[in-house]
Amino acid sequence: MGNEAEKPNIITSSLDFLVNWGRSNSLWPFPYGTACCAIEFMSTEVGRYDLSRIGSEYVRFTPRQSDVLLVAGTITYKQAPILKRIYEQMAEPRWVIAMGACASSGGFYDCYCTVPGIDHIIPVDVYIGGCPPRPEAFFDAMFDLQKKVKDESFMKQRAESIKDQLEMIKAKTAEAKRETAACVREKIVDVKDFMKEKQQDFVKKAQFWKE
Amino acid sequence: MTVEEIFAALEEKFGVKREMHDKWGVTAIVSASYLHNVVQFLKDETGIKFDMLVDIAGIDYLTYPNHEGPRYAVAYAFKSMENPGARIRLKVLVSEEDLKVPTISDLYANANWYEREVYDLFGIVFQGHPDLRRLLNHVEFVGHPLRKDYPAQKRQWLSTNDYLLPELEKRLETLGYRVVQRSKEVETNDNEFLEGSIKA
Repeated sequence: MGNEAEKPNIITSSLDFLVNWGRSNSLWPFPYGTACCAIEFMSTEVGRYDLSRIGSEYVRFTPRQSDVLLVAGTITYKQAPILKRIYEQMAEPRWVIAMGACASSGGFYDCYCTVPGIDHIIPVDVYIGGCPPRPEAFFDAMFDLQKKVKDESFMKQRAESIKDQLEMIKAKTAEAKRETAACVREKIVDVKDFMKEKQQDFVKKAQFWKE
Repeated sequence: MTVEEIFAALEEKFGVKREMHDKWGVTAIVSASYLHNVVQFLKDETGIKFDMLVDIAGIDYLTYPNHEGPRYAVAYAFKSMENPGARIRLKVLVSEEDLKVPTISDLYANANWYEREVYDLFGIVFQGHPDLRRLLNHVEFVGHPLRKDYPAQKRQWLSTNDYLLPELEKRLETLGYRVVQRSKEVETNDNEFLEGSIKA
């Protein structure tokens, strides 16, 4: 059963295509804006550049409803646990974009208070350079992310997520089979002993009657 | 009352010396014991009312060339709103053994956060301050980063974010509100709360 689920076939691959099409064209961002990069994101979102052309229609201000965590700005050590908590609150599938030099590497804040890149805290999918990056760079990152989303396989991820469960079920079945086999063997031995005793009894009785 | 007269009055009353190195000649060196009285005098009794506290800055003279005297200093900058352009700076020298300066947060409300900042970054204790906590760095930070002997690139992780609800409730209670009932989501569960933390 496990092998069948892992192999791509016409049903799973078309389901993958459908799911990825939906996901990649409705990437709703959660703007974690702490500095000037957030202003740049605002100009990406509105009028002239219009991020909703590629389906990022709504900017969600709650981690429960968003797909992309957009870290735009400097992250200090005081803020690091808050960012991690917000990332953990997001529902899967989730992606992270590190926007600008500060979020990617700490930027020029080489000091005691700034986290040198948010990849020390959470996994990052796309990095954008620049201080701050232009909206075109942000669009480029969104296209990269869309490509990445389209490469993913929904069925494979599902198979991996239930792989542990499958292995556990297999192990339990094998154990149960072994137990039954051992039980049956014991029973057979018992029956054989019983038969032997009976035979000996018969032999004894026959001898007695002969005498 | 001109600036010269103010300096003369300060010298007569409190034994305040004028800083010679200051280019503009508006800095006075005050001893910590007279600071509160000097500030009150400047605020209320002089003809020019210095009613605006512009800044409080800590200074560490550890690597300063040709410096003699105590290691730290706290500099206060005042400005007058009635006579724009009238400014005065006070400087309190603080030795390393006795890192104590009286607070002026009872005279200027904004001195509260300025003094917290100086305490956070230099470790100078302001006596009589109502709430002397760190302002910029997190609670688990060890040391005072703007001291010259603190390695500038030494980073310190914070393990968990602040839980501010008890403080919020305390403030609401001072405003006359009362906590009648808490919902289940709001009640603290330490284990669950620490789940999202970063272990360095």
